[in-house]
Amino acid sequence: MDVMEKTDGVAAVGAREYLTFRLDQEEYGIDILKVQEIRGYEKPTRIANAPEFIKGVVNLRGTIVPIVDMRLKFKCAKAEYNDFTVVIILNLRSRIVGIVVDSVSDVMELPADNVKAAPEIDSVIDSSAVMGLGSVGDRMLILLDIEKLMSGLDMGLVSGEE
Amino acid sequence: MPLILAVDDSPSMRKMVSFTLTGAGYQVVEAVDGQDAYEKAQAQHFDLVLTDQNMPRLDGLGLTRKLREHPQFKTTPILMLTTESSDLMKQAGRAAGATGWLVKPFDPARLLDVIQKVINK
Amino acid sequence: MAEAHQESSGSGDFDLSQFYQIFFEEAGENLDLMEQMLLNLDLETADDEELNGIFRCAHSVKGGAATFGFSDVAELTHQMESLLDKLRRHELQPNAMMVDVLLESADISRSLLARHQAGEAGDPPDTSDLVRRISELASGAAPAAVAAAPAPAPVPAPTPAVVAAPPVAAPVAATPTVKGERQLEIRMGPLERLDQVDPVKDLFRDIAGLGEIVDLPSDQPNVRVFKVGTASSNEDLLDLFAFHVARENVHIRDLGEGEPAPGSGFDDDPPPGTPIAPAPGFGFFEGAPGAPAAAKPVSAAAKAGAKAPAAQLAQPEAATIRVAINKVDQLINLVGELVITQAMLAQNSRTLDPTVYQQLLTGLADLDRNTRDLQESVMSIRMIPMSIVFSRFPRMLRDLASKLGKKVDFVTQGEATELDKGLVEKITDPLTHLVRNSCDHGIEMPQDRLAKGKPETGTITLSAAHQGGSIVIEVRDDGRGLSREKILQKARERGLDVSDQMPDSEVWQLIFAPGFSTAETVTDISGRGVGMDVVKKNIAALNGTVEIDSAEGVGMRVSVRLPLTLAIMDGMSVGVGDEVYILPLSSVVESFQVKPDAVSTVGQGSQLVKVRDEYMPVIELEKVFQVPRFDHDKSSDIMVVVEAEGSRVALLVDELLGQQQVVVKNLETNYRKVPNVSGATILGDGKVALILDTSALVRRSRH
Repeated sequence: MDVMEKTDGVAAVGAREYLTFRLDQEEYGIDILKVQEIRGYEKPTRIANAPEFIKGVVNLRGTIVPIVDMRLKFKCAKAEYNDFTVVIILNLRSRIVGIVVDSVSDVMELPADNVKAAPEIDSVIDSSAVMGLGSVGDRMLILLDIEKLMSGLDMGLVSGEE
Repeated sequence: MPLILAVDDSPSMRKMVSFTLTGAGYQVVEAVDGQDAYEKAQAQHFDLVLTDQNMPRLDGLGLTRKLREHPQFKTTPILMLTTESSDLMKQAGRAAGATGWLVKPFDPARLLDVIQKVINK
Repeated sequence: MAEAHQESSGSGDFDLSQFYQIFFEEAGENLDLMEQMLLNLDLETADDEELNGIFRCAHSVKGGAATFGFSDVAELTHQMESLLDKLRRHELQPNAMMVDVLLESADISRSLLARHQAGEAGDPPDTSDLVRRISELASGAAPAAVAAAPAPAPVPAPTPAVVAAPPVAAPVAATPTVKGERQLEIRMGPLERLDQVDPVKDLFRDIAGLGEIVDLPSDQPNVRVFKVGTASSNEDLLDLFAFHVARENVHIRDLGEGEPAPGSGFDDDPPPGTPIAPAPGFGFFEGAPGAPAAAKPVSAAAKAGAKAPAAQLAQPEAATIRVAINKVDQLINLVGELVITQAMLAQNSRTLDPTVYQQLLTGLADLDRNTRDLQESVMSIRMIPMSIVFSRFPRMLRDLASKLGKKVDFVTQGEATELDKGLVEKITDPLTHLVRNSCDHGIEMPQDRLAKGKPETGTITLSAAHQGGSIVIEVRDDGRGLSREKILQKARERGLDVSDQMPDSEVWQLIFAPGFSTAETVTDISGRGVGMDVVKKNIAALNGTVEIDSAEGVGMRVSVRLPLTLAIMDGMSVGVGDEVYILPLSSVVESFQVKPDAVSTVGQGSQLVKVRDEYMPVIELEKVFQVPRFDHDKSSDIMVVVEAEGSRVALLVDELLGQQQVVVKNLETNYRKVPNVSGATILGDGKVALILDTSALVRRSRH
């Protein structure tokens, strides 16, 4: 899997900046340009009959934004809601959406050399949304194409007819 | 500063003429057709009248004739803007009492050129 | 063809592109007006005003196009203008073919302009054929059949222009003989274009005393022949004509004389003074008032003029003002935010002691009133009359009916009914489909209609009216109506569960199933079966509903009901468990506390409640929305009766929380459509509450 191909035509020569966050024991990285802001968790308004990982919608300065709990989606061991729980508000092409994560680490630059292809493993994450594995020191980051991930049908944000 | 009455039922033409003339230091009043122009002419004197021919209510020729009957406008330069360069328009224009004519499309530079020939700054 | 657009040449410091946008809009309006007038033109009794009006539209577009350098548009509109000029001078009689060609030309002009506006993208449409057809019509001939043009079926056979026909004898009688006046036959040719000498006829009209001129049939191509009665000399005539036709191409013959008159144009040298080159772009009349050579200085007149009173410099008054749409949307958003803030203030001040905070509370009450008024005003900016939507149909139907060989009258009612602009854009496609359907599948062929005893011409009616908080738009036709048997059969074929006992209203709803079409032949217009289900979907997306009524052989009526979507609405908030839901106040009829014995269970767990003498279905919101219960002491014992789509249901809730104005936010922008929910709003405490779709709830209760 060539990381170059996954980057939507943007030449991935040189480094890209990733926001890293943690879900359970794993660390993930997403394109910083898709991140609008980071907020604390507030209880969303529940939407009936939605999948359990869609917690509901919140008011973001007048805009209604759905909140997806990634820990539930990725079937993590636990999903707590406390003062440290973080919501990353993503500004994607098709929508604004918030994802609940355990914590946010930092923004890091990853030169292309530090990224290698991810092995095909059976995992809960849609493998087409995994761009590769990044290594920084002894940390291993799973780099996600967050746009693709959130547009997948299984994410429940897109209705079947769209 | 000379005051010009620009008469045309087309907003884009009016704007262009207006813009060109004010840019060259003239003052411009716009009218949307001959009737409107004539009413404005009752209220004040103009140093030059620039008028299109085809307009609703009162056309350019009609306006010219009426203006010439008005004491204040007996000698005011009246230029007709016409898309036809045929003898028809010239003959009719002359008969109505126009001072001269300018064929559309004209470019702004020519407009200024012609106006300078007839207006006294 | 010459390059379609060049930047204004020779205009150095002058950038005309700033005027392009105004011109595009103005030209668009002129073309629309022209189309409208052409459609309304009565071919038998066309009056001067109408013809002049249409002429001016084309003339205006041509002038602007030429000035701003859009030469393709200028050329096409110039042709249109020439034809229209003849029509307004009654040199030609208008006929349906001319109207068609002019309508087509207007369409192409619009495309050409759109292309320029979009930055010259794509290939320009070819206008050469159109230009040829117009000039043929303008010269009085019937244009030769063209492969590309659609066959106009019901159009009456084009009457050739009056000019070509009359025998030589007639004009002779028409020309009065005046003493000293000669009768001449003047032949002009060979001509590059037959109509290039049309202005010659104008001369006779405009120059008093010049004489009379009539067309005579020509025996040679490229040659025009006229009969002229005049007192002028041949020399004078040749001078006069010189601008339009070279002297050597003019042959003057005295009628009644055998040989050509002297000086009839065999001279080799044109007399001095004849302009050979095209005239310069301007000129002055010698001796005219104000002309440069004139002795009378302009300054004398200037002195006579009084100082202009300051007030008179007012520009032409406009009754309307153009505003960019995004400005209006921004305004509406801001008013929306204001409403939320005001609601929050109102809520937070409810607990204040009125005696202590009297002034504050009075101020807040004023604010409430002002906000409502502001909101109403702002919303009305976006309301536009339905006539905007209706306007596209006359032309579309005319073309469609013509293509299908049907005769259709189009009637509109309620054009002044207003609708939010956002809705207008979204309702146009579904309505178009419905109207096309009526024309294509509804209205029968003229002979079939006659055979049935119906008038040959069918009628399609499009109407709009306000009803309560909705707008109802109907498409009616007096065509063949829906066939119950065919629909049931088709439904069975597709495996749908139907029974012969189904009421008509349910049978008609079957046509909204995807892929459903009972049309025998699939025309490219609307028979593909992708139509009705998409129509229904589009209307449902606007929170609207579609109903059908039909009688076989008599006709059909499709009613579209849309909520007057105002971004701000009055809502009633209700509590279920820990959650808050909003009901549109306009659909709330009443509410009451319910006693357990008033509710009876029927069938598979459905419940009914008796309200006075009426039984109505009960919908437990707790169940519909699967509201979690934490406090088991609380339960739902309040019924709120809502009405939608002509039916009533009672919603079972825990408590009534209050009434307030809410700003309706779209859930689908970032999320998706949620069943039974029409939108969301932000409460005074900043939290989101879902707005319930009462129509969906009512429909749900029907099953």
